Amino acid sequence: SKLPYNPPPRIYHATLKRVLRKASSFQSISFGRFQSSKRIRLQISCAAKPETVQKVSDIVKEQLALSADTALTAESKFSALGADSLDTVEIVMALEEKFDISVEETEAQNITTIQEAADLIEDLVQKKPTAQAS
Amino acid sequence: MRISVMSQMQRSFSIDLPSLIPLQLPSRRYTHLWYVIPDEVKSTSLLKRYSQLLSQTEKDGVDQMRGDELKKNALLARTLVRTTVARYQTNKAFDPRSLMFKKNVYGKPEVDWQNCNNQPLHFNISHTDSLIACGVTVHAPVGIDVEDKERKIKHDVLAFAKRFYSADEVNFLATIRDPEAQRKEFIKLWTLKEAYVKALGKGFSAAPFNTFTIQSIPGTEEGYSLCKTSEVTADPLEETKKCNGEWKFALLELADSHYAAVCIEDDQANEGAPMRVIVRKTIPFVEDQLISERIFL
Repeated sequence: SKLPYNPPPRIYHATLKRVLRKASSFQSISFGRFQSSKRIRLQISCAAKPETVQKVSDIVKEQLALSADTALTAESKFSALGADSLDTVEIVMALEEKFDISVEETEAQNITTIQEAADLIEDLVQKKPTAQAS
Repeated sequence: MRISVMSQMQRSFSIDLPSLIPLQLPSRRYTHLWYVIPDEVKSTSLLKRYSQLLSQTEKDGVDQMRGDELKKNALLARTLVRTTVARYQTNKAFDPRSLMFKKNVYGKPEVDWQNCNNQPLHFNISHTDSLIACGVTVHAPVGIDVEDKERKIKHDVLAFAKRFYSADEVNFLATIRDPEAQRKEFIKLWTLKEAYVKALGKGFSAAPFNTFTIQSIPGTEEGYSLCKTSEVTADPLEETKKCNGEWKFALLELADSHYAAVCIEDDQANEGAPMRVIVRKTIPFVEDQLISERIFL
């Protein structure tokens, strides 16, 4: 299904990632540089990557047995799609497997939309000890 | 079937509603369990009447649901709650439209009695794609959960249980060889655990599933008890389980298709006395059918 916003071009992504990696490897960088890299990081981590939103949508469709052409947006609420608490838990388990993360029960309960799931996933993936590739 | 009743309602004049047959409040330790089968409610005019009962918030909630079937079930759920609670009011002409609802601080739905305090009635609702249930008690909070008996779990049942259930429950499930029997026991446990959390009314974080065990009472066919694992233990061997009788459980089958768990806070004055569940099937404004009256020790 179509996403509601345009994903940034790949080149832009790669450049920003290089900048971030450089910034984070300098513990004693100047105040000015630290501020700017932090600002860039905030801009990127405001919303999850479109690919993540898409992967979450696919898992939700599968768990709730929705037809392939059901239009889901990032704002789609699990409850409006007919998910009960058992569905939500199964969705979270599937997301844990797909992204190799571990979600706490209280975090899982706070997920009500596809966007929230995607945001949590990216947050947890980022916090993993091994730096993520790409 | 299409439900475009919401827009029609704004334009149409009010349709006279038939009156609801009043009900006597349940006695203490009784749960009245009402259920509706959505497939049995086909009349468009009846569904229009139901939509007239809802508040604007409830109508918005129904509209948010994706697809006609989900919209219809959401409509039936609110209708079941409103009409059932209205029927227990002592004022025989009580209008179900006048009921107001609120959520407690943890999000559990309750009746907003406005200025009439000390109302004894408690309710809780649960539904699946094919059944909607509402439990009613007096003087004690109640939690209800229903699940389709045939519901398939996409993950390995034991892996799921290890992730979410208590250690004792995992051990119990692990002893069941037949995968189908194991799945059924998993579902039964799910409904019992959900019913407890809903009766408690403090949200899932107040009672994470792995902090309590629900188990059969030995010597009874359908008795269940709750044991809470102690919170912080330095020595795992010292982990104590408190199995008290504060919460009573009933597990039944509805319409041959669903497991239904009822959890009610025990009446301190009559500790140890059995709980009773009276099951009735209903189509609001149309008919009631007494299904069973059961005792649970």
